[in-house]
Amino acid sequence: KLLARLEGRSSLKNLEPHLFAEEGSPVHGDVIEFHGPEGTGKTEMLYHLVARCIIPKTGGGLEVEVMFIDTDYHFDMLRLVTILEHRLAQRTEEMIKQCLGRLFLVSCSSSTQLLLTLYSLENMFCTHPSLCLLILDSISAFYWIDRSNGGESLKLQEMNLKKCANSLEKLVREHHLALFATTQTLMQKSTNSAESFFPLKIPHETDTDYRPYLCKSWQQMVTHRIFFSKQCNSGNSKGFAVISCHLKRNHVVKRLFSVAECGVQF
Amino acid sequence: MRALPGSSAARRKQEGERAGGRDPGAPRPRVSSPLPALRWVAGAMVVLRAGLCPGLTEEMIQLLRANGIRTVVDFVSSDLEDVSQKCSLSYKALVAVRRVLLAQFSAFPANGADLYEELKSSTAILPTGNRSLDQLLDSGLYTGEVTELMGAPGSGKTQVCLGIAASVSLSLQQHVLFLDSTGGFTASRVYQMLQGQAKDKEEQLEALQRIQVVRVFDIYEMLRALQELRDRLSQQVVSSMGPLKIVVIDSVSAVIYPLLGGKQSEGLAIMMQLARELKTLAREFSLAVVVTNQVTRDSSTGPLKPALGRSWSFVPSTRVLLESKEATWEKATTQRVASLAKSPRQPTGIQVELDTGNGVVQELSPAAPTQGL
Repeated sequence: KLLARLEGRSSLKNLEPHLFAEEGSPVHGDVIEFHGPEGTGKTEMLYHLVARCIIPKTGGGLEVEVMFIDTDYHFDMLRLVTILEHRLAQRTEEMIKQCLGRLFLVSCSSSTQLLLTLYSLENMFCTHPSLCLLILDSISAFYWIDRSNGGESLKLQEMNLKKCANSLEKLVREHHLALFATTQTLMQKSTNSAESFFPLKIPHETDTDYRPYLCKSWQQMVTHRIFFSKQCNSGNSKGFAVISCHLKRNHVVKRLFSVAECGVQF
Repeated sequence: MRALPGSSAARRKQEGERAGGRDPGAPRPRVSSPLPALRWVAGAMVVLRAGLCPGLTEEMIQLLRANGIRTVVDFVSSDLEDVSQKCSLSYKALVAVRRVLLAQFSAFPANGADLYEELKSSTAILPTGNRSLDQLLDSGLYTGEVTELMGAPGSGKTQVCLGIAASVSLSLQQHVLFLDSTGGFTASRVYQMLQGQAKDKEEQLEALQRIQVVRVFDIYEMLRALQELRDRLSQQVVSSMGPLKIVVIDSVSAVIYPLLGGKQSEGLAIMMQLARELKTLAREFSLAVVVTNQVTRDSSTGPLKPALGRSWSFVPSTRVLLESKEATWEKATTQRVASLAKSPRQPTGIQVELDTGNGVVQELSPAAPTQGL
C-alpha cells in the first residue's frame, strides 16, 4: 500500500498550478487554506479541484480519489455534475457515475461529530490508497456555536477545533494527503478600512479582509493561504481574484479567474 | 424553555442515516446562561454510561472515570494502550468499544455516485407561480436548498411568499408550512390569489386548507415549530399533514434582530443554530426552504446589502433582491423588480420585473404595498 501511495505522490502537482505561488505545488503534506467572504468563489474552486481529481487520465484529469467533508450542507452535487458534463468528452451517465465513484462525501453537524468522524476516517484512508486529497468545507462553520458553548474560557471554546486540527495533521502526515480547507471571513478587520488600501510591508494581509480567528493549532498547520475576493472592474471580464501565499517562503502571487457554466476558468 | 426533549434526539438516532450522521444527544448542563435554549444545542458531549454500547460495562466506566475519561470524545482520543495499563482493562476490549462508539457517533461517508442517484430521485423544482421569478430562479425553487428573498419594507416580500404558498398548494397540490413572524399573513389575500388562479370554489378551499400557518414571534417559538416539523416528518405521519415540500418563513430577520448586537456571541450562536436547522431540514427531507430578510446600507449612500451580517450570508444558496420600481403616478405600483444576488446556477445580476398583482383587480391594490412589511 505504501508503494501505491508513493506512486501517487507526484500526481497532485498538476492539480491547479494557477493557484500556487510556486511550481510543483501542492505536494503531499501541504495544508492549504481558502479564505474569503461569501460569494467569492471558494466553493466553485473546490468543485474545480474535485473535477480535476476525479476525471480519468484519459479525460485529462488525475484519476485520484477525494474525500470531501461538508460541515454546512453546502455541497451541491448537481452543480458538480454540470461541471463534469462540460469537461468530459463523453457525457454519458456511465462516465459521470464512474467519476463520482471516486468522490466520498461526509456531512458533519457539530464540531464534536467532526472530531469523531476524523477518527473514524482513519480506516477509510488505510483501505483506499488512491485517496490522496482531503477537502474540508468549511472548518469555520462551528465557530459561533463552539464559542458560545465554551462559555467564558477561550480554551474550552477552542478545544474541539484544536483537537480537530491535531487529528487532521495526523491524517495528513500518516497518509500523505493534501488538505484543502475553507474558512469564511466572519469578522471585519480591526483596522480602518481606509488604511487597508495602502500597501504595507505584508501586502497580502492588507489586500485582504483577513483577521485570524481560528485557534493557533490550525493556523500553525497551514502551509499555503489563498485569499479569495471579487474584482469589481467592469472592463475586466475576470470576476474573481486569488492571492496565494506560501507561508514559509513568503512568496505571494495574485491571479484572476472567472466562473462560467463549466466551472472555474483562469 | 426546556425544548429538545431527549426522546426526539433518541428518535433521530434510531432513524436511518442519510448523508448526515447522528448527533450525540445528551445536553451538558451549564452554569449560567442568559439564553437557556442553547443548553441543548448540538455539539454537546455524550457522557459515557453503561449500555451506551455493547461491551461498555459499569465497572469499565468507573475505572475510566477514575482516570479522567468521562465522555465519548475523551475515550476515542486517548491512547488505548496507555488506558489499558492504567485502568487494567483488556486492550482488545477497549479497541472493540472504540470501534463501536465511532460507528455510532461519527458521520458515515457516502459515495458520490450513490448520492447522485439519490438526489436525482428526490430533488424537485417547485414553480413559484410567477413566471418571471421562476426564470430568475432557473425554473423555480429547488428542494434541498435555502432561498432568500430580501428587500426593504414594502418591497413585496410577503406578497411573493403568499403567492408561492398559493401556487404550490393549488397547482402542485402539496402542503405548505408558513411560519409567520411579522403578522403579515392574511388568509383573505391568499384567497384572492387563489381566486385568480382557480375557478372552482372547492379547489380554492382545499388549497387554502393545505397551507398551514404557524405564528411565531421569537426565535424559540420558531425553533420549536421547526422541531415539531422535524418530528412529524421523521415519523411520516400522514394525517392532516400530507406531502410537504416547502417551508416559507416570513421573516427570519424579525426573530433574529433582537438577539444580535452587543458583545455576546450567543445571539450569533443561536442564529447559526437556526441556520443549521433550516439547512438540515432542507437536505434531509428534500424541502425547499424560503426565508425573507431585510436589507441595510453601510452608509446613507452605500449599496443595499442583506441584513443579518456575514455569518448569515453563507446560509442561503440563492438570494433575490426585491425592489419597488419608481412610482408612476397614474397607477398604484404593483410593479417590482427582482434581481439575483447570489445563485449556484445562474450568473448574478439578472433582473426581472415582477407583477405581484397576480390577477387581482386593481382597485384592491392600495392595500398591497402596506402588507409587505
